[in-house]
Amino acid sequence: MIELLATRYAYLLMFVLLGIGLYMTIASQNLVKKLIGVNLFQTAIFLFFVAVAYVEVDGEPGGSPVVPATENPASSDLILASPLPHVIVLTAIVVGIALTAVGLALIVRIYSEYGTLREDTLREVRADE
Amino acid sequence: MSLVAYTLVAFILVTAVATALFRDVLSAIVVFGAYSLGMAILYTLLLAPDVAMTEAAIGAGVTTILLLLTIARTSRPSTERLFEPINVPALVIVGAFVLVLVTQLLPEMYAVGDPAAPVWSNPEVTQAYLEQTYRDTGVQNAVTAVLAAYRGFDTFGEAVVVFAAGIATLLVLKREVFA
Repeated sequence: MIELLATRYAYLLMFVLLGIGLYMTIASQNLVKKLIGVNLFQTAIFLFFVAVAYVEVDGEPGGSPVVPATENPASSDLILASPLPHVIVLTAIVVGIALTAVGLALIVRIYSEYGTLREDTLREVRADE
Repeated sequence: MSLVAYTLVAFILVTAVATALFRDVLSAIVVFGAYSLGMAILYTLLLAPDVAMTEAAIGAGVTTILLLLTIARTSRPSTERLFEPINVPALVIVGAFVLVLVTQLLPEMYAVGDPAAPVWSNPEVTQAYLEQTYRDTGVQNAVTAVLAAYRGFDTFGEAVVVFAAGIATLLVLKREVFA
């Protein structure tokens, strides 16, 4: 059991972070903190992709995805982390910041319209209209 | 799995829980910046320096600045209490979700770094890219090669998304906050 958790520590961390991010989006009444929760959830997914790409042979970690400058590299030089999940995560980080920016712009508008950032107060104000 | 990795995992967990529980939004934002930095170091340990640099610049840098700008434009409710009260129903639901993931999904996953994992063991995918990258593109960094050459159109699509987000932000704010 302990060994299972120790060898899969990155996935375990990812599951716990998914839970914390989800909890923030559900339980936090402040809209900004909800958005931080969404960001936390995202980074957990990034951790999953990066952990999947990681490789080690007999306990020795491989290399970063930088290949030797030869046309026909030996396969022993190519014990490197997979570059494909890294590229997906790079794209996802940039798309995530775009998402955050739009969300924060909406939050600024909501505040200028209703004068509050709390979800419960917002519900009351909108129910009165 | 070294002592450094264990320490980082503990640091990330503590900062994540602190982000969730701090009642003051400014404190939560600052702790979230520390969390992003810890995450970036963990990515470096997991052999992803490109991802780590992007996370440090965008996750710890730009996200924190955007959040702080939002706080400056809106309000930061003053409180005497340090932590938020725990929302028990939400905690039960989320706890059940995490419990199901850990008990059902975790034993089925490959160990971190296992070369038998599908991402790495399939010679048609990772090895093929690693072998061909220098021959095809003349770039040694395989991440750069995939990002700009093999998956160039994906990166173009990403730029379109960022452009659309910029337009959406300007429209939503009606330029009033920039005046």
